[in-house]
Amino acid sequence: MNAIEFILAGMLAAATPFLLAALGELVAERAGVLNLGVEGLMAFGAVLAFIIVYHGGGHLLGFVAAGLGSAVLSLVFAVVALGFRANQVATGLAIGILGQGLSALFGKTYESLTVKGLPKLAFPWLSEIPILGSLFIQDIVVWLSLAATLALWAMFAYTKAGLVVRAVGENPKAAHAIGYSVTSVRVSAIAFGGAMAGFAGAYAAVVYTPLWADGMIAGRGWIAIALVVFGTWLTGRIFLGACLFGAVSLMGLAAQATGLDVPSQLLSSLPYLVTIIVLGIISADRRLLKLNGVASLGEPFER
Amino acid sequence: MLTNLTRRTLMKGVAVSGLASAIGGRFALAADEPLGITLVLPSPVGDVGWGHALAAGLEPVKAAYGDKVKITVLENIAEGPDADRIMNKTVADGNKFLVAGSFGYQNGALQIARRDPSVTVLHASGFQVAPNFSPFAAKYFQGTYLLGMAAAALSKTGKLGSVSAFAIPELITSINAFTLGAQTVKPDIEVSVVWVNSWFDPAKEQEAAKALMAQGCDVIFSNAQDTPSVIAACEEAGVYAFNLNSSMKKYAPKTYLGCIATDWSPFFKASVDAHFAGSFKGANTFLGVADKVVEVVDWNPDIPADMMTKIKEIEAKIADGSFSPFTGPITKADGSEAVAAGATLADGEIVAMDWHVKGVATPLPK
Repeated sequence: MNAIEFILAGMLAAATPFLLAALGELVAERAGVLNLGVEGLMAFGAVLAFIIVYHGGGHLLGFVAAGLGSAVLSLVFAVVALGFRANQVATGLAIGILGQGLSALFGKTYESLTVKGLPKLAFPWLSEIPILGSLFIQDIVVWLSLAATLALWAMFAYTKAGLVVRAVGENPKAAHAIGYSVTSVRVSAIAFGGAMAGFAGAYAAVVYTPLWADGMIAGRGWIAIALVVFGTWLTGRIFLGACLFGAVSLMGLAAQATGLDVPSQLLSSLPYLVTIIVLGIISADRRLLKLNGVASLGEPFER
Repeated sequence: MLTNLTRRTLMKGVAVSGLASAIGGRFALAADEPLGITLVLPSPVGDVGWGHALAAGLEPVKAAYGDKVKITVLENIAEGPDADRIMNKTVADGNKFLVAGSFGYQNGALQIARRDPSVTVLHASGFQVAPNFSPFAAKYFQGTYLLGMAAAALSKTGKLGSVSAFAIPELITSINAFTLGAQTVKPDIEVSVVWVNSWFDPAKEQEAAKALMAQGCDVIFSNAQDTPSVIAACEEAGVYAFNLNSSMKKYAPKTYLGCIATDWSPFFKASVDAHFAGSFKGANTFLGVADKVVEVVDWNPDIPADMMTKIKEIEAKIADGSFSPFTGPITKADGSEAVAAGATLADGEIVAMDWHVKGVATPLPK
């Protein structure tokens, strides 16, 4: 296996925690809600999934519990941000800190324990292509995440549900006037975002690195939020962004392993640098942001 | 049992004690108050790793002194102003013995020691010394040299790898000695290093281990990681791996090569004894096999018996001081001479090492 195969084989799995969390945040933001608590929601989902899998509940139950748990926690955000119309930035940060605290509390007795991950499934035919084939040997969650990406893209592009979510985010007053409940759409979007962050955390703790360590999410929730802007609120671009981030971080490690003479500090910061540069380029194009940005993002809705 | 505090519960404690002192005014501590010992750590205390080893090193102190000492462990304290504040608080609360468990606590801990001579501070991995402030470090390199010999004997590809946290002298010496030990068995063996630039990111550590395996490395040295992520990934791939501080054999029953274990208790016990006797003297303490602080345990039975005999011979020589891994001739990675034939590096030169030996394939980050 050479460095290129290593990057191809690992890229999708490395991207999955970012992708799942970013897709959830995308739906919430499309409905006009900025939830900055993703990091904490991921940590909370991660610890729930780990505890269940550790006690023999299996991966499926672990993911379900993570999704439900983080969705419930995100509903606390919904109550404060939508019910009491509190500032969404502050509320999101608070929920994020709460989630990290809860994960540390629940995970206390599980510190540095390990569980079994999931087996890799090879995509028939495609996985036999030389070099490129390693891209098609992934665990089931990666395949499901790709399916979720497609499903979300189709929802926003072709379905009424997608249009309703977008309408609520673009112009909540108009959506309200034609008879849609802005609050219930936003609550559902927040819960969906929470569940996806929970899945992302579960993937990190019971599949990708199947162990529990307090703080193991290590800032990935923040990257997920950045990816939503990076992808200018478009599903396909968010997917590409997540893959790029995953690939660039693996590239840095592979470059060191092959003995390339580049400072490791630079390689470690490369994924962030690339993200900042791409964000800069996107922000420079005002038209693109205006076209795809969400008009009522972060604003509480008053009838 | 040690009292375990996270930062959150500490905050509550701070609030309550602040209130209590406001009400109670200032009372001098009674003479029979137990000695408060506080251990401050950058990571959580798990079943394994750096934090675990330091916390475990205080257990015998507790066993020896019983009610005369009160031990508090503060975990997950970020290096920087946060740590300074928390260390100041714990000393202000009457804890007179501080173990600062990370390099980054150096400046804050040193200020405390200078301000209050009645406080004794032990600081991990640093270089500053004061009359009541001792930096301490383990001679991990004595163990990594031995594991280098074992790794070279088992490697089929002739490539070894190391997943390392930060390019600081303590870690660089471990990699260099590992390489030198391996070269005694296979002179042209290569060691690749991936610096993850983090003390704590299990996912990245695991990716780094896989990147090294993709390059053909078939023995991996997990250099200063607190979680079993590297060891567990190596077991899955059937690649030998070893680590520092505490044994992770249970995470890799088949491919665990060995552990360079650290037992800090002799040093901690001696320091607490000295504190009680009033004879504590700050000094740079660099502890190894001879001090019973560093010991290689859990050797893998796959290591050939004749190699094991050789390793034990060298280990005995290191213990009685007749051999040092950093004995010349040693060539630097850039080809220049590091140590002349017959010469041996002094401790002071070892703790300041900022170069790789020839055979380390990855250039050292500047």
